Amino acid sequence: MNKYEPILLKNMVQPGYTGSLADYERAGGYQALRKALGKIAPADIIEVVKKSGLRGRGGAGFPTGVKWSFIPKDHQGPRYLICNADESEPGTFKDRQLMERDPHQMIEGMILAAYAISTHVAYIYIRGEFVLGAKILENALAEAYRASYLGPNILGSGFALDIYMHRGAGAYICGEETALLESMEGKRGLPRTKPPFPATHGLFQQPTVVNNVETLANVPHIVNRGPEWFASIGRPPKSTGTRIFCLSGHVTRPGNYEVPMGITFREMIYEIAGGMRGDKPLKAFIPGGASAAFLTPEHLDVKMDFDSLAQAGSMLGSGGVTVMEEGTCMVWAAENLLQFFNHESCGKCTPCREGSLWLLQILRRIEHGRGRQEDLDLLLRLCGNIAGRTVCAFGDAEIAPITSTLQHFRDEYEAHIQGQRCPFRPQPAAELITVGH
Amino acid sequence: MADMVNVLIDGKPIAVEKGTLVIEAARRLGIMVPHFCYHPKLTYDANCRMCLVEIEKIPKLQTSCSTVCTEGMVVRTNTPVVNEAHQSVLEFILANHPLDCPICDQGGRCDLQDFSHQYTPTTSVFSDTKRVYQKEFFSPLIEKEMNRCVSCLRCVRYCDQVMDVKALGNAGRSTMTEIVHFAGHQLDCEFCGGCVQICPVGAITSRLSMYEFRPWMMKRADSTCGYCGDGCALILQTRDQKVVEVMSAYGEGRNNGDLCARGFFGYQYATHQDRLMSPLNRQADGQLHPATWDEVLPALAERLTQLKLAHGAEAIGGIISARCTNEDLYVFQKFMRLTIGSNHLDSTPRYGHVNAARAMRRVQGTNRWTVSYEDLVQADVLLLIGTQVTAANPIVGLKVKEAVKKRGATLLTLETLTPSIDTTSNITNLSARHLTIQVGRHGAAVQGLVKAVFDENLVDAGLSARASELVSRVREAATALPYPSDVDEATLRAMVKTFAGARRGVILIGQDLLQAAGGYEATVNLMDFLLLIGKLNQPGWGLAPLTEENNEQGAVEMGAMAEYLPGPTDITDPAARSLLAGVWKEEPPVSKGLRLLEMIEAARSGRLKALIVIGENPVRSLPASLKAAEALEKLELLVVQELFLTETAKLANVVLPACSYAEKNGTFTNSEGSVQKVRQGLDPLGDSRPDWEILSSLSVLMGYPLEYGDAKEILKEIRAAIPGYRILGATPEPARVDSRVVERYVSGEFADDLATRYRATPSPKPNGHAWHLRVGQTLFHSGAMSTKAKGLLEIQKEGKLIMNPADAERLGLTEGDRVRLRSTAGEASVPVTMLGRIPAGTLFYPESFREDLASLLAVTPDPVTGVPYGKLATVTVEKVGSGGEK
Amino acid sequence: MLIEKHKDKITEILARYPEKRAALLPLLWLAQEEFGHVSEGAMKEIAGVLDLTPPQVYETVTFYTMLNRQPIGKFHIQVCRSLMCALVGTEQLLGWIHARLGIKPGQTTPDGLFTLSQVECLASCGTGPMMQVNDDYFEQLTQEKLNRILDDLKREGKSPLATGPFMFPVPAGRHREA
Repeated sequence: MNKYEPILLKNMVQPGYTGSLADYERAGGYQALRKALGKIAPADIIEVVKKSGLRGRGGAGFPTGVKWSFIPKDHQGPRYLICNADESEPGTFKDRQLMERDPHQMIEGMILAAYAISTHVAYIYIRGEFVLGAKILENALAEAYRASYLGPNILGSGFALDIYMHRGAGAYICGEETALLESMEGKRGLPRTKPPFPATHGLFQQPTVVNNVETLANVPHIVNRGPEWFASIGRPPKSTGTRIFCLSGHVTRPGNYEVPMGITFREMIYEIAGGMRGDKPLKAFIPGGASAAFLTPEHLDVKMDFDSLAQAGSMLGSGGVTVMEEGTCMVWAAENLLQFFNHESCGKCTPCREGSLWLLQILRRIEHGRGRQEDLDLLLRLCGNIAGRTVCAFGDAEIAPITSTLQHFRDEYEAHIQGQRCPFRPQPAAELITVGH
Repeated sequence: MADMVNVLIDGKPIAVEKGTLVIEAARRLGIMVPHFCYHPKLTYDANCRMCLVEIEKIPKLQTSCSTVCTEGMVVRTNTPVVNEAHQSVLEFILANHPLDCPICDQGGRCDLQDFSHQYTPTTSVFSDTKRVYQKEFFSPLIEKEMNRCVSCLRCVRYCDQVMDVKALGNAGRSTMTEIVHFAGHQLDCEFCGGCVQICPVGAITSRLSMYEFRPWMMKRADSTCGYCGDGCALILQTRDQKVVEVMSAYGEGRNNGDLCARGFFGYQYATHQDRLMSPLNRQADGQLHPATWDEVLPALAERLTQLKLAHGAEAIGGIISARCTNEDLYVFQKFMRLTIGSNHLDSTPRYGHVNAARAMRRVQGTNRWTVSYEDLVQADVLLLIGTQVTAANPIVGLKVKEAVKKRGATLLTLETLTPSIDTTSNITNLSARHLTIQVGRHGAAVQGLVKAVFDENLVDAGLSARASELVSRVREAATALPYPSDVDEATLRAMVKTFAGARRGVILIGQDLLQAAGGYEATVNLMDFLLLIGKLNQPGWGLAPLTEENNEQGAVEMGAMAEYLPGPTDITDPAARSLLAGVWKEEPPVSKGLRLLEMIEAARSGRLKALIVIGENPVRSLPASLKAAEALEKLELLVVQELFLTETAKLANVVLPACSYAEKNGTFTNSEGSVQKVRQGLDPLGDSRPDWEILSSLSVLMGYPLEYGDAKEILKEIRAAIPGYRILGATPEPARVDSRVVERYVSGEFADDLATRYRATPSPKPNGHAWHLRVGQTLFHSGAMSTKAKGLLEIQKEGKLIMNPADAERLGLTEGDRVRLRSTAGEASVPVTMLGRIPAGTLFYPESFREDLASLLAVTPDPVTGVPYGKLATVTVEKVGSGGEK
Repeated sequence: MLIEKHKDKITEILARYPEKRAALLPLLWLAQEEFGHVSEGAMKEIAGVLDLTPPQVYETVTFYTMLNRQPIGKFHIQVCRSLMCALVGTEQLLGWIHARLGIKPGQTTPDGLFTLSQVECLASCGTGPMMQVNDDYFEQLTQEKLNRILDDLKREGKSPLATGPFMFPVPAGRHREA
């Protein structure tokens, strides 16, 4: 059972809550906006968020207030705020719930963020597959306009803001900040080299802030109840507040769970998510979405916060916790993830474009009983050639499943190669890959 | 003095301008950091990851192509870690790269080969399956082999950033991204060859010379292109008496390595099978038969001498093409003036460029530009009037594009075009302000520009003070005219305001202005315009007329025209005559010479008995209504010196085979005034000889010494004959305005034809049946020469009437339908096609296929300059057949 | 064709962005919603509206998996194949679909009704195995549910078993609201 008091999920779990503007206001919504708009200076809002210790909830975990403060104060032209609703990291499904069940919470967060960085145009970049989510958001935006929470003169404060929906069309890489900017500009979603950073040269080369849905959803609460309150939750100073973790895989009760940061994986998996679904014990788990390194039962007492996970050799990432029971083939799991990464690679830079296919081909051979002894060292060497040499973090992400499963389950790989078959999934050898997708 | 920063690369210090990339700083130290996607002409993309280097204090390796030098930066390009990084990138590329070296045209000059040789071991550990692309036919001219591609995207970026064409795209995602045109269709673009040249591997290659060579098998000649007046540096690669390939090198020449379809794919005309291989003699049977030089030349010399004795030197004339070298042109006019003794000589600038040359000499004292190509790129504002620049002079077009796209220059266009995006460049798409000028109306627009100077109070105060007479009289004349009714007054005035208020500006003019009636007056009026706004003699400002043929500027300067001596100087100018007499040991004749059309008429009337035609084809160039063939047939002697058996050659008594630019040495002078070398890449084909050599031999046989050992000797004499003439090298020094000439103009000479220049031209009356036909240059052809180039014929093999799509729809026409055009001169039937950039109410026909419209056009000579205006007509249009019917 | 029919919508879309090209994805969606796929003609039209060349539009279209360049079946069944769903039965789901419709990923039923594709994570990882059919999500699938859904679609074009708005786990004491 989840004994922790929800903050972000609080409204939607109430019986009868529909997410409408009326319901949201009844639950105390838009009070933060009334409190702030025109009364608290934008720079002070930024300070409040900084003090709260809020960090990005998309995967990178960058301190939000600091990111906002990078916008040049004296910039003459337009600035932009973009809500990154491109949730595509395998294992993650929290933003979807936030948007479909309590859209105004995120919208209020956006308006506060826009006010803080003095922008008058904001976009919600939502993945194309979220058709229902986009519709719900469109309706919520229309409600907000009608109630003067958006438009040329919000609540009579003189502050103007327009929020537009912008649907993606099926590309994981567009969740990467600079690739998202390229996609918003109507181009192929290829990441940009940094510097320059979006804070100075973002959308249409203007200062831009890109924030995750969950990050923005936290903002009204922080403004309402104060940064000290927020900072007192979780594991200050580096991992404050709650986080929505997405449990999937072989647990009894998969789903979204909002908990204060710092509880252990043991508590999350066994107490809150109901433990393993069947008789088989835990074999491995991914703590933070497909880009995070695999962990093993010896990591169950690692705390779910940024630093602890980094120390354990993985990352908090997107908060997607995937649990795998004994009997799950680690090579097969790595192969599945590499298929994802190879398909979603944007193709811009050499190591990832050529390397992701090569890695997948090797894994596929091993899984289908055609592995060779030298393959294991080759895998590690290729991963080493990709790490840190790509335009964006996708390169580091795609090698994580391989390096971590090789680290923790090398014997399994060896068994595949010695026995020229997968010990877990006996099957005829599939055709080896000749082309990418 | 720009801010400098000091960096240390591999232990060597260097100071560079702030903003310099690390890879560039390294290059200046002689350190070549390996790379694929970086190119100085393009913004960095940092996608190949090949140029990774170590930078102190930064933990991860950094791409040197995207890292800017900062003060005190310490860079290492050659450590074990860096080399291992290079090797790993190559390993990734080679994993999927096919073992095509034996059949790949890039072999021997391939970056991947070179880097692999330098960095990788000799064995590969890749034992999986290489990714393979379906082979598709990309284009008859350009081969695409995607298996070899390294996805550096240089081709796509070049096509976008430099050419502004955007015909190439990078489609797909992940490992199977590929370079495409549109949805599997064949490539449709400008065929500038830029993608072929910039591809570091053999993914994009030319099909014209596929499989024919290895780079080390070819001989190289650094020459200059023989097509248009831009004067691009070319590298001719030859083998076994064939030009195998043409390239241009980055950093070289006035074009900096960029070429156009003609330069890059049009070189095969020189070795076309129809090339004349021996002299031809018309025998008693009335046919032309092959003969030897010994059989032909002495007899010709005798015949000419006879005619001269019988009828006088005034009975002999000569016409030469500006495709010839300066040496050819100089010897020609010397031959005509001294050996023959006649001033009846003319050359192809007569078709239009002489309007500009004369107008500019008249007002500013020099026919040359007072700006250079660099000034175009550095200009703050560029005003283009009637240039059709991306069709006629594409490399100047690239300078305009660079000025606008990279430096934010303001482009103002007055062109017979409308902005419209397709996959060939249209300069008006980049215009800040554009006015569509109807065919033949550029002169009226220029009058409007001058008027606007007064209406907007932009007259230079200094000029008002010292030349009040000129200012008031021009004001009176110009403001008396209404603005042309077919252009928007507000836009015109805004253009003038922008132009006059800039720091540096250049006016470019071209064929649409110069080859239409009133072209001379319009150019003088543009000089008035510059004068009035106080910019006639300012650095970075000037009038820049673009020439169609490669050596029109040279033809004018060599004096290959009736009214000019070398310089050019006026034939009557005593100082010039005296100087020349010093060099020639004899004075040139002083009688008034006949010009092009006048010579044709003189042939018809019998006054001219003999005509020597070199490289030009009047029978084809002039409309049928002029009946040039009839006139020439009346001559007693017609000599044609040519590459091919042209229409004019077919009428000749004697045909002499000449060398193309690929077979001789010499110089060309481009529009800008840059005198550039032409170097021989092939031995003369068959019995052909350089034009000057033929004339030289002829002259000797006629008893007049005109001997030169080689082209260099001629150039030496040219320099003696033209004071201040010199090879100007890579960056020419622009000419200077002669203030004495300006003074003379301003003091009173301006008034000589003031009324004519500012006379009202009737505005076109809207008439549903009348269409304005323009015959002009397309990008893919140049004169008739290009119709012998196999590569260019692949792109455009025939003439089609090009019209505006909305007009076509109104007339119920679709692609390939045939129409009959009727003018007052005659009629013609041609197929149609549509293009969005053709303004409504106008029709365009490529002049390289003008024989299709021969009967439609008529000629009106300019009363002052003798330019035969004959490229415009008003016609009616009716549909006569559907696409597919003949 | 696209421009005539949706002139006002296109104007509204263009007004959202300071640069024309940014309207490319919204216009491509408009074309796909109108015609079921993005045809060459639509690409050329859109290029004209946005001052782009057709190759620029084409290269962008090919980057995004959801934009179809060819017409597909009336119902596009998109099964998530990412690890989290694969752990709880994607292979089975594909087997059930094959049993019912006879098609494998990449294929379309002969009557043109159903096209089956495998796609990447649909952000439904706690409720797998699942699929997206056109605009709707169908989560926590069993063979029985799947068959019912396919029947519903064939018969009525829609199925009440479509899931969402999403909330999982469902709070105690509440039934799943539509």
